[in-house]
Amino acid sequence: MLSRVADSLYWMARYIERAEHTARLVAVKLESMVEQTREDADASWHRVVEALSAEEFAGKGHDAYVITQALAFNRFNSSSLLSSLRFARDNARQVREQLSTEVWEHLNKLYLRLQPVTTEAVWGHHPARIFREALEDLHTLEGVIYSTLSHNEGWHFIQLGRHIERAQLVSRLLDLYYRQVPGVTTPKYFDWLVLLKFCTAFEPYCKAYTAQIKPETIAEFLVFDAEFPHSVRFSIDSICDALNRVAPAAPPARRANVERLAGKLKATVDFGQIEELMSGAIVPFLADVTRQCEQIHEAVHLSYIAYGAETVL
Amino acid sequence: MQHDVLAHTEDFGGPDQHLESRLCVPGKDAPYEQYALGKPFDEMFTPEGKVRSHYASLDGRLSTLAPEELLRRQQAVELSFLHQGITFTVYSDNQATERIIPTDLLPRIVTAQEWARIEAGLKQRIQVLNLFLRDIYGDARVLKDGIIPRSMIYGSKHYRREMRGLPVPHGAYVNVCGSDLIRGENGEFVILEDNLRVPSGVSYMLANRDVVRRAFPAVFRSMGVRAIEHYPNELLAMLRSLAPFHEDVSIAVLTPGVFNSAYFEHAFLARQMGVELVEGRDLLVNDNVVYTRTTSGLKRIDVIYRRIDDDFIDPLNFREDSALGVPGIFNAYRAGNVVIANALGTGVADDKAIYAYVPRLIRYYLSEEPILNNVETYLCREEKALDHVLANLDKLVVKAVGESGGYGMLVGPHASKAERAAFAEKIKADPDNYIAQPTIQLSTAPTFVDGGVEARHVDLRPFILHGETTTIVPGALTRVALKRGSLVVNSSQGGGSKDTWVLSE
Repeated sequence: MLSRVADSLYWMARYIERAEHTARLVAVKLESMVEQTREDADASWHRVVEALSAEEFAGKGHDAYVITQALAFNRFNSSSLLSSLRFARDNARQVREQLSTEVWEHLNKLYLRLQPVTTEAVWGHHPARIFREALEDLHTLEGVIYSTLSHNEGWHFIQLGRHIERAQLVSRLLDLYYRQVPGVTTPKYFDWLVLLKFCTAFEPYCKAYTAQIKPETIAEFLVFDAEFPHSVRFSIDSICDALNRVAPAAPPARRANVERLAGKLKATVDFGQIEELMSGAIVPFLADVTRQCEQIHEAVHLSYIAYGAETVL
Repeated sequence: MQHDVLAHTEDFGGPDQHLESRLCVPGKDAPYEQYALGKPFDEMFTPEGKVRSHYASLDGRLSTLAPEELLRRQQAVELSFLHQGITFTVYSDNQATERIIPTDLLPRIVTAQEWARIEAGLKQRIQVLNLFLRDIYGDARVLKDGIIPRSMIYGSKHYRREMRGLPVPHGAYVNVCGSDLIRGENGEFVILEDNLRVPSGVSYMLANRDVVRRAFPAVFRSMGVRAIEHYPNELLAMLRSLAPFHEDVSIAVLTPGVFNSAYFEHAFLARQMGVELVEGRDLLVNDNVVYTRTTSGLKRIDVIYRRIDDDFIDPLNFREDSALGVPGIFNAYRAGNVVIANALGTGVADDKAIYAYVPRLIRYYLSEEPILNNVETYLCREEKALDHVLANLDKLVVKAVGESGGYGMLVGPHASKAERAAFAEKIKADPDNYIAQPTIQLSTAPTFVDGGVEARHVDLRPFILHGETTTIVPGALTRVALKRGSLVVNSSQGGGSKDTWVLSE
């Protein structure tokens, strides 16, 4: 597979994942704010803004309208929902001939539908609706990708991009909930509930642990569960699977570094323990996962995408 | 067929009841209230206002469709193009807007007899143009025999000295050609322009067919329209025939990238052929062999269908500021390790001045008369012609030799006195650079405009494939000037396109 094509598929998947995460956070937040006190809602909006790295665009206030505008439709915010979709589509366009018509048209239609939408237009009635619809479309897109593309090398690059992005987004979100910062309101019962919803994890969590909402069990579920698709471990397993299957014909010397890093990351979660994390190790643990994902990203780029021609001739 | 916004069950049932011309008066009866018949040849109506027999079926369908229904189908076609991403981008105010190239719902119909002549004429012409290129990059007999002035070849900016003495597979320099034909007042098809460099538009031919067939399924079926869907297979077969060996040939389409206005077409053709779409940055040359960079390592490429102009293809040999090309690719080409289609240096033969000589070239190389004529052309480099052009600027269309896309052009009858005077100075300053032609009226064809059917000017661009053999898929891109009275069909200047139906009998 052409290196440039692999790179575009990888980035397309990362941006789709980022769009989905943004849409879900905004939808859940808009739906839940009516049930919170002003102070709690403000703290929780603040976490959402930080989770999406949008401090520069959302301002210092806690106005839901301003924040929604910044997170969803601000075209200058390169990680807004609309920007993520635009970048995903730009990458898809670069590899249009590699995608099925269904995948391309679904993504293209979603972008064309959201592109003219303004916060003002959706604010009047039920502002969360547009984000729920976008989520529904993004879930469908995931299904269309799964069922209309061959599960070949390109598809594994898509999986790689999706899960590297997801592992980092979930780690960042967890960090904001488990970090103890003096002077900032600590999360309350309702906030933990919202955290689960941010990760579409509420129902699966209840099935595993009943509806008892406890920070320890939530962390255990969202970090270590092997079967839930939005847990950190699930993403890491998916990253390792994908890495085993991309660039199948690359010589062992060029694969070595990527494989070493993947093994190391897998060991990090395989040998982690919830007791250890809850006695103060969770913040450095999440930071470590994020850093290792970055290293894998760079190693893949160097080994398979932008390698020097002189290294292979 | 519920899921298909373009199709209608009504279209599938019942016999066609309207094969006989019905009585309707263009300019008066619905849906032709605004249909103006004038001096130009009209594709649908005779000068007396009778529907030509090959348009009777379509007329029958149109007479029973409500204007709102036509409009709905037109909008469905446009939406389908937008969703497929068949768009070009307009940049203004820091905002990028994507627009579709307007597609007209109503097909342009070409009879079997008309097509037979077009096909024979185009085959004759492509053969001669290739013989001519082989000659001027070889022994240059045509120059020694004084058929064409040497300065026109050696002074042309499209002549590539680097190509001299370099053999190309099957002597085929022009592998993909898109010739523009128009129909004069007497109804005769004539050649307006040969596009021998990187002609585009074939994806619109195929995309138009796809949507228009669904908009008029019954009419389409009843008329015996010839298929064009095999174009990508024919293109692939032609490209394969250029490879020096025939097993396991690795083929790629080379595009300037996603910002090129024809990018959709490049991706479309690569996908339809099942070959790789590459950009310059995907390719590298080592030891005169061209490779693509893949995730697993380097992979050799044998044939490149390039959609990049000569100037930009190799910064080492041509324009050094080109970021689109592949350094060293021309050396690999000279070494015979890669085939590039079209060959480099074909532009010298589609120059608007060389165009005027093509009929003489046909007689020279084949001792045959041209099957398709040229539009009468005055070469300003010839003194007598120059005097005639300057005296008759108000009746002529003057074109700069090296320009395309409707740029650098004066349409005499539509220009103001001041514009004509200014252009006359340009011609006098550099007469070799200009040719002039009488203001030919392009023929008109029924076009869906503002809820009614009106006459608009059209041309015809068929696509010719030439490798080991010559193939012309029976279809074409019909370009249409959507502004009333306008003769400019270029998409960069407000033109649209139509599906073209070539009938089997």
